[in-house]
Amino acid sequence: MAAKTPSQRVANPSRQGGDVGQSGIPLRFGNDPYVWACWLYYEDGLTQGEIADAMGVSRATVNAYLQEARDRGIVNISLDPAHLASLTIADELKRHFGLDECLVVPSEETRPLIGRLAIAGALSISNLIKSGDRLGVVWGRTVMAVAERLGASALQDVTVIQATGSTMATFPYTPDLCASAFAKALSARCVNITAPAIVGSPEMARALMSEPLIAGQFAELAEANRIVFGISSLRPNSTIHASGFFESVSLQHYLARGAVGVMAGRFIDERGNLVEGPLDARTIGISLDSLAAIRTRIAVAGGFDKVPALLALLRGGYASVLITDAATARGILNADGVTSIHQRPDAPPRPLVPARTHIKKFLNRPGDAVDEMLDGAQKAYARYIVPVADAKRVFVARTGPRQGKVGLVIGGGSGHEPCFLGYVGRGLADAVAIGNIFSSPPPDPIALSAEAASGGAGVLFVYGNYAGDVMNFEMAAEIVESRGISVRTVLTTDDIASSPIESREGRRGVAGNVLIFKIAGAACDLGLPLDACEAVTRKANARTYTFGVALEPCSLPQIGRPTFDLGPDDIEVGIGIHGEPGVARERLRTADAIVDTVMDAILKEMDAVAGDRVAVLINSFGATPMMELFIIYRRVEQRLAARGITVSANWVGPYCTSLDMAGASITVMHLDDELAKLLEHPCESAFLTVL
Amino acid sequence: MSDSAVRNLTALFSRIAEAMESAEDRLSDLDGAIGDADHGISMALGFKAVVAELSHPRHDLSSASAVMNVVAIAFLNAVGASIGPLYATAFRQAAQSLAGVQEIDRAAITIMLQAIATGIRERGKGQRGDKTMLDAWLPAAEAAALAQTRNLVGPAFWQEVVSAAEHGANATSSMVAVRGRAARVGERSLGHVDPGAASAVIILKAMAEALPAV
Repeated sequence: MAAKTPSQRVANPSRQGGDVGQSGIPLRFGNDPYVWACWLYYEDGLTQGEIADAMGVSRATVNAYLQEARDRGIVNISLDPAHLASLTIADELKRHFGLDECLVVPSEETRPLIGRLAIAGALSISNLIKSGDRLGVVWGRTVMAVAERLGASALQDVTVIQATGSTMATFPYTPDLCASAFAKALSARCVNITAPAIVGSPEMARALMSEPLIAGQFAELAEANRIVFGISSLRPNSTIHASGFFESVSLQHYLARGAVGVMAGRFIDERGNLVEGPLDARTIGISLDSLAAIRTRIAVAGGFDKVPALLALLRGGYASVLITDAATARGILNADGVTSIHQRPDAPPRPLVPARTHIKKFLNRPGDAVDEMLDGAQKAYARYIVPVADAKRVFVARTGPRQGKVGLVIGGGSGHEPCFLGYVGRGLADAVAIGNIFSSPPPDPIALSAEAASGGAGVLFVYGNYAGDVMNFEMAAEIVESRGISVRTVLTTDDIASSPIESREGRRGVAGNVLIFKIAGAACDLGLPLDACEAVTRKANARTYTFGVALEPCSLPQIGRPTFDLGPDDIEVGIGIHGEPGVARERLRTADAIVDTVMDAILKEMDAVAGDRVAVLINSFGATPMMELFIIYRRVEQRLAARGITVSANWVGPYCTSLDMAGASITVMHLDDELAKLLEHPCESAFLTVL
Repeated sequence: MSDSAVRNLTALFSRIAEAMESAEDRLSDLDGAIGDADHGISMALGFKAVVAELSHPRHDLSSASAVMNVVAIAFLNAVGASIGPLYATAFRQAAQSLAGVQEIDRAAITIMLQAIATGIRERGKGQRGDKTMLDAWLPAAEAAALAQTRNLVGPAFWQEVVSAAEHGANATSSMVAVRGRAARVGERSLGHVDPGAASAVIILKAMAEALPAV
């Protein structure tokens, strides 16, 4: 303040504006008093009176300048969209559930959720708690975090009361620790409940509650006019299981009776009703009725797994103030049937585009599509594949299994053509089993293809990581092994959009399949033993990164309309290959901007340095033409070259499609000497040939 | 031997197949929101194959167990995918649990529902709250057992079973999928009823219609 007083500015205007123009306005404001006034007001933070002094005009003139500047668009006042969105959601939650207050923290990826909730919680507590208040505190990890974020308090005569009994368990947010932390932060008197939260028998609970000491503590609790609490979900990853607070046998009892959440040691169902069980009569702590009777009830919680629990809490009317995050809040509203968050009335209406309801296709009877397609493909690719016996959906390579060579079996649903049957041939897969559209084949055809591929050295299954494929291929493996053929399995998990890197094994297999098949096929063709074939295929999968973007959804022959709706300017990012929605919906941007998003994600995960080599696959999902694929490839190559990475092999085209979906995926395989050599190994199939 | 049980079960699956065919579009739409939009197609296809296979003369359908084994294999081979193994395992468990049963009465239905729920849970390694068909099957099986101890019969029995399943299926809209393809959609699955749970309700309603007087 001392260094930047307004009087200094008056005395020496050049100090803050540089050269002064003829009109007395600093030159950099272009002789425009509006801009100068705005600068002083918005950037330098002067009051209108101070600006009047600095500019040598009246205060009313300054006021008029500022108003005019807004009207003329010199100044635009905008709120950060993320913050604006969270305000809108908070309003909607407040309205929908009749809350007194709601604070929604914007969603972001960078900082942990609990810390952001705690900051917001501390802010609310500081606003809501007044001198003389009596605050009940229910233990919890988030509640403890709130206490840790509370700043120094100037409040007087606050009482903090522990709302449940205590526990012997040693986690850092036990009931007594939570209450003490709040008491310390609020300079409050602390009332602890000096009894266990859960005792051995109902009789013991009754006896303890009639002890004058404990009865007195509960009398204090009954006087609380505010309470702060969190809620725990009962999902397997919840801290409730790890805390040791509840016996797990009892938890199962409550789960079976429809409990979705627990707060203050009491279980509630999805409507917010108390779920009774063996622990209730043995629990020493605030009852739900007493909690609901407290005037200000501050709930702090967030995270997707808590959506059912929070919804129950809100439906039951337990909170009057809610603090959560935007993503969770949106989930709660969605789950309660509020699909469109209230839009500002002046938002421009979206142009109406008539929805395409029926997609034209070359079909006879839609239900015959898969069998007719296979009939045609088998004739078209007769040079490479032969059907196995009378099984209609199993094909073996015409080059057949070789004695002493590991047999490679691939397969999956149809709708991905030329995947999978286009990759059966010498140096690639020995046999393939095909299922219904986007559906794994059943175990029997898979077992047949394994027998057809077996050359006595074992069989390697390579397929995408989907629940259905895993179940059917595992059942098939059991059948085949009971007939004396060894089976090894590598699940492909190249789709980096489908889950975070920490759960890589949960990712799905997409277009990167093709490159991984190529590596596995080469290893088998070179006569490597089953162990080595499996190991190198596993390595190939670990070093393959794919990311897909859809411009238009696909449509199933039997249904004939798009599998999901996509707005005229929207794209679906992180798409799989089954017409399922992706991980996020974004606005359509330029090709380079989209490729950059994808390459940023791939390069972030792929630990490649200058001089490294990669293989690249630009894959069309079916409807995107080669022209656009080359535009994509151009940018991918630029991005890799900028990092000094060499593309030593590339494929551009429809290699693993999703029926007629418009869109493309980018796959990068990070090569080492072994993978590079196997990729160059000759192969010959209907859709992939290396000479 | 147990002609009436065999007749009852074949009638039961005909009714399920009809119900699934008329719900095909609705189920596929539900699936489109969070999956690959083919759930209705797969379910209709699977039960159609079951009915065709049950009327095939090559099968010796001499017992309730024999019927359920044919159902399991027919469904699996027609469908594949994830529901193929799940329902095939369920029906195979039901076949075992119905060994020696002469009559599809309330007790038989109750053990069959229990077997179906167990089979699905074991094959899919799932549990309640995962936003799957288990959220309908588990409460239905429990409701059947409870209705039996309360000695409810006929429509009153089915009323308990079906409403437990419906309730469970509706609750899936507030869950985040953690299994199957919908799991990759994460929080975007919120607000949508799980199609597998919805089709489980259709099966149970068809059962109630086909065997009202248990």
